[in-house]
Amino acid sequence: MLCDKCHKREAKVYYTEIVNGEKKEQYLCEECAAQYTSFQIEKTGVDSGLGSLLSNILSSYYGEKKNVPEKTEKVLACPTCGITYEEMLNAGKFGCADCYRSFGGIIDKTLRQIQGADTHVGKAPAGFCTGGKEQKKKPEETLPDRIDKLSFQLQQAVEQEEFEEAARLRDEIRDLKKEAARNA
Amino acid sequence: MLKWYDEKGEFTDVVISSRVRLARNLKKYPFSTRLSKEGAASLVEEVNNKLGDGAGEDGKLLACRLDAMDEFERTAMVERHVLSPLIAEKKQAAGLLISENEAVCVLVNEADHLRIQGLSGGMNIKKAFARAEQVDNMAGKAMEFAYDEKYGYLTSCPTNVGTGMRASYMMFLPALGAAGKINRLADEVGKYGAALRGMYGEGTEGTANIYQISNQKTLGSSEEDIIENLNNIALQVIFQERKRREYVLMNNFDVIEDQIYRSYGVLKYTRQIGTKDAMTLLAQIKLGFDAGILKSEEPVNIFHMMMDVQPFNLQCRLGKNAGSRKRDKARAAYLNQSLPRLV
Ligand SMILES: [Zn+2]
Ligand SMILES: [Zn+2]
Repeated sequence: MLCDKCHKREAKVYYTEIVNGEKKEQYLCEECAAQYTSFQIEKTGVDSGLGSLLSNILSSYYGEKKNVPEKTEKVLACPTCGITYEEMLNAGKFGCADCYRSFGGIIDKTLRQIQGADTHVGKAPAGFCTGGKEQKKKPEETLPDRIDKLSFQLQQAVEQEEFEEAARLRDEIRDLKKEAARNA
Repeated sequence: MLKWYDEKGEFTDVVISSRVRLARNLKKYPFSTRLSKEGAASLVEEVNNKLGDGAGEDGKLLACRLDAMDEFERTAMVERHVLSPLIAEKKQAAGLLISENEAVCVLVNEADHLRIQGLSGGMNIKKAFARAEQVDNMAGKAMEFAYDEKYGYLTSCPTNVGTGMRASYMMFLPALGAAGKINRLADEVGKYGAALRGMYGEGTEGTANIYQISNQKTLGSSEEDIIENLNNIALQVIFQERKRREYVLMNNFDVIEDQIYRSYGVLKYTRQIGTKDAMTLLAQIKLGFDAGILKSEEPVNIFHMMMDVQPFNLQCRLGKNAGSRKRDKARAAYLNQSLPRLV
């Protein structure tokens, strides 16, 4: 799948933008995503906590992009807790359990830098069944739920560079959204 | 029931205590940075309900009301390494569950929803881990943890994700400290994935030459491997400290012996003394007992005394209005009385 912005490079980042209160979704390549996000990384040197460590790692990942137009509010945010990427960087902390999946491949890269690894080895909670999709049957899925779930899968697919699957999911999401709009 | 710090352990001449901390979060609440005041209150209540009075080998887990304690009492518990400075200053609801022998405790709504901590005396991290794990298993059955197949236990800070485990030894390094070797040691252990810090964590320079050594990484190695790696490093440090002590004692025995007896004499008869001086002299006395220069028929636990002479611990015993003068006198009286008689 190609980037919505430059239509040249492969899309790797799922990006939500809020302009005048309206939510816009885009799938961007790393370069375009970097231009969009407003990382204003202050090199104060006073706070040498993890916040700045993360900022430094991530800014070097994206490259310094200081001249970001500030006209519209552009947000890359976790859909569950609403924490924005920038807030997360500044705090050096995640907002909720879903953040680990919401910000995509950047997290793996960050973890590799901090931890030297990106995958857990070791204990799991007693009730946790690995691999099996034997989750409890949920009551009938609502349309928005289904869209959320597919969006999540889409993001995963993009991260794993499974672009055919991503394109399929994207079309399905668009159809469901049309349907939702008709029902409304 | 014997308190953990009165237990006998191994390598107690260098390793004072062993600690394992597991960071856990509940799936249904956002992490601490995004947790509302109401969310915090309901988190604390839920954990207290699910874990409070839970019985294990270390006795019942008793739920304490942190908000009912005053600042003095909370700081005193930081000095005793039960609370972290972070939770002691928390404005939101926060909780503490502690076992009867104080060997296991759970901090609720610290940086993570749960910080499960197991302690043991001397070098016995496996016991500390077993203690923490017992509560971890109990909690994992009663509540759903935020866990991801790829990333492991999810934590608010990515430096803790995976196992969520921080294993650490509290080490007494007077000989390496006197030789000015601590900074080099810190660099060295850093290369092997461990961090060396002052007694009260980040930023506290080695009070009385007591340091904490802990694993830096929590992701990508199993709990067992993390412990084994830390043990290998700790054994190296023990070896170096012992070698250094031997060397110093061999070459300077008379001077060291005199210093140790003087320290004992001062603390036995001082009439007022500040925390820092008390700690420095207690460290000398500990070295004296460890090296066999001082002997007593009574049980000796210098580390226990080190915690007791901290300002807020004294303050709690003396009452709120005691000034530093009064504290210094109380500290002296405590030491005069508590130092074991020599034989
Ligand atoms: Zn692009
Ligand atoms: Zn989130």
